[in-house]
Amino acid sequence: MSGQMINKLSQINFIKPGFLTTVQDLGRLGMAEFGVPYSGAMDGLSHRLANHLLQNPETAACLEMTQFGPEMEFEAATQLVFTGAIAKIYQNGLEIPLGKVIEISSGDRIKVGQFQEGQWLYMGIKGGLLTELIANSRSWYKNISSIDKIKKGDKLPYLPDNDHFIHRNSYLKINSDWFGKKDLQVYPGPEFPLLTHSQSDLLASEEFTLSPIQNRMGIHLQELIPNELDPILTAPVYPGTVQLTPSGRLILLMRDAQVTGGYPRVLHISDDSLSVLAQKRPGEKIKFSIIQ
Amino acid sequence: MEITYKIIHPYLLEIEWPAIISRKILDEQLSWKFFLETNHADLVQEIRLGFHTLSLTFYEKVGKDNWENLFMNLNKLNTGSEILKSPRWKIPVCYEDPYAPDLSGLAEYHQLTRKEVISIHTANPYLLHFYGFLPGFMYLGGLDPQLHTPRKAHPERKIEKGAIAIGGQQTGIYPNESPGGWHVIGKSPLTFFTIGSNPPVIPQVGDEILFESITKERFREIDKMVSQGQYEWTDDQ
Repeated sequence: MSGQMINKLSQINFIKPGFLTTVQDLGRLGMAEFGVPYSGAMDGLSHRLANHLLQNPETAACLEMTQFGPEMEFEAATQLVFTGAIAKIYQNGLEIPLGKVIEISSGDRIKVGQFQEGQWLYMGIKGGLLTELIANSRSWYKNISSIDKIKKGDKLPYLPDNDHFIHRNSYLKINSDWFGKKDLQVYPGPEFPLLTHSQSDLLASEEFTLSPIQNRMGIHLQELIPNELDPILTAPVYPGTVQLTPSGRLILLMRDAQVTGGYPRVLHISDDSLSVLAQKRPGEKIKFSIIQ
Repeated sequence: MEITYKIIHPYLLEIEWPAIISRKILDEQLSWKFFLETNHADLVQEIRLGFHTLSLTFYEKVGKDNWENLFMNLNKLNTGSEILKSPRWKIPVCYEDPYAPDLSGLAEYHQLTRKEVISIHTANPYLLHFYGFLPGFMYLGGLDPQLHTPRKAHPERKIEKGAIAIGGQQTGIYPNESPGGWHVIGKSPLTFFTIGSNPPVIPQVGDEILFESITKERFREIDKMVSQGQYEWTDDQ
C-alpha cells in the first residue's frame, strides 16, 4: 500500500474493560462439525460497515462492546470508526460521532460511555485487530481462544497507520432507525410443518417481547406457544434458528449458540434480521414476518 | 429408505432420512458428504450432520433445477460397501469414586449393581454419529436400553472435564468442564479436544468407541502420560 511505512506492532491499552468487550470477526467457519460455535459479531451488518468505512478487508477483526464500553489508550497513530449501538464516545474528552472515521494520534484516549440505544457497538480499526488467529478466525470464544473477554490492563495489537489521506471524509450518519423496526424476516424452520394451524398463526401474527434472558448464545422471548411437539433427534442448528421448547419457550439462537439441538426448529431468522434482533433490548417487541 | 429435503432459506438446505438412529443411515450420510466434498466443493460451503439429517450451506443461491439434479445423483450413489474398517478407539475409564458421583444412584434406579452397570457400559462399542453440544462432544449411538436414564431435573453447575455420563438414551464424554444434566458414572484421563490440532479430535465420524474399565492407579498413570504428551490412543481393531 502506497504511503504506508513498515511499522512495528503497537497496542491498545485497556484502562477500563467495559461490561463485555471482545474481539470478533465474521466468525469461525469450518469447525462446527467438531462442535465449535461460529462466534463472530452479533450484529454482522454493523461489523461489516465498520470495515467498509475503513476500507479494511471484510475479514478484519473489530472490537465488540455491550452495555457500557471500555476506556482505551492508543500507543500509535491509526484510524477508527464506531458503528452499531448508539453510545457517547469521547476522544481525549471531546465527543466524536458514530460512523465517522476518526484519526488517532499516539497517546490518544478513547472512552466509550453508557449505551443509549441498541446492544452491540463495534470499533473498527485500520488494518483490523491483529490478535491470535485460531482455526482461521480471531473471534473470541471460551476454551477456543486463549482469552475470552477484555480485563483491565489487557493490550490488543494493531499495525500503526499514518496514512489518513484516503479516509478523512469517510462519514456515514448512523442512527437507530434500522434496528428500531419490529419486523424480522424469517423462514419456516425444518419442524414448522409440525405446528398446528393455531400455533403457526400465533407465530405469524403475535407481537413478542424480548425477555431479560439474552446473551451471545441466545435470546428468549417472553410469550409462550403451548405445544405438544416431540423432541427431535439431535440435528444441526445455526445462528438464526428459532427453537420451541416443550414448555412453550421460544429460543432465538445467536452467534455463540451450541451447534446442535434437540428442540423443534420452527423458524429461521434471515441474516440481516439477525443483526436487527441483536440490537434489541429486553422489553422490546418483535414480530415475525414469515417468508413462504 | 425415503430421503427427502427441505429448503430452509436460499443458502441452506436440509436432507432428511427416516427419523431413527442407525448405522445404515450414517453410512449413507457419510457417502453423500464425501461425494459433495469431492465433486462440489465450489458449491457447498459447509456440511453438517445430525442423527438423521445432513445440512448443507451453499456459497450461492442454489437453483431448484440444479439442486434436483444433484439430489437425484446423490440418491444413485452406491453406499454400504465398506472397504476399510473404521477404528474402534479404546477409551480408558475409571468408574470408581470420586470419579463416579452418580453411579450408585443410577445403578439403584435400574436395580442393578455398580458392577453390572459398568459391565453393560463397557460391553459393546458405540458408533460416533457426529460432534455437537460442546467442542469435541461425541454423539454416540448404541447405549444399552438397560441403562437409559432420564436426565436430572436440575443440571449440575459443573461437570468435570473427561467425565463419562449417561443422559436419556445417550452416553457421552464431557471434553471440557461444563454445566450438565447427565449422570456422571466415570472419568477418563484422555484429552478429547485440542483446538491447536488439525483436526482437533481423534475419533472421526463413523469410528467406534469402546469404554475400558481401569483402576484409580492406572488412571493416574495415564493422566501423567497424557500431560507429558506421551499417550497414544489405541485402536481395538
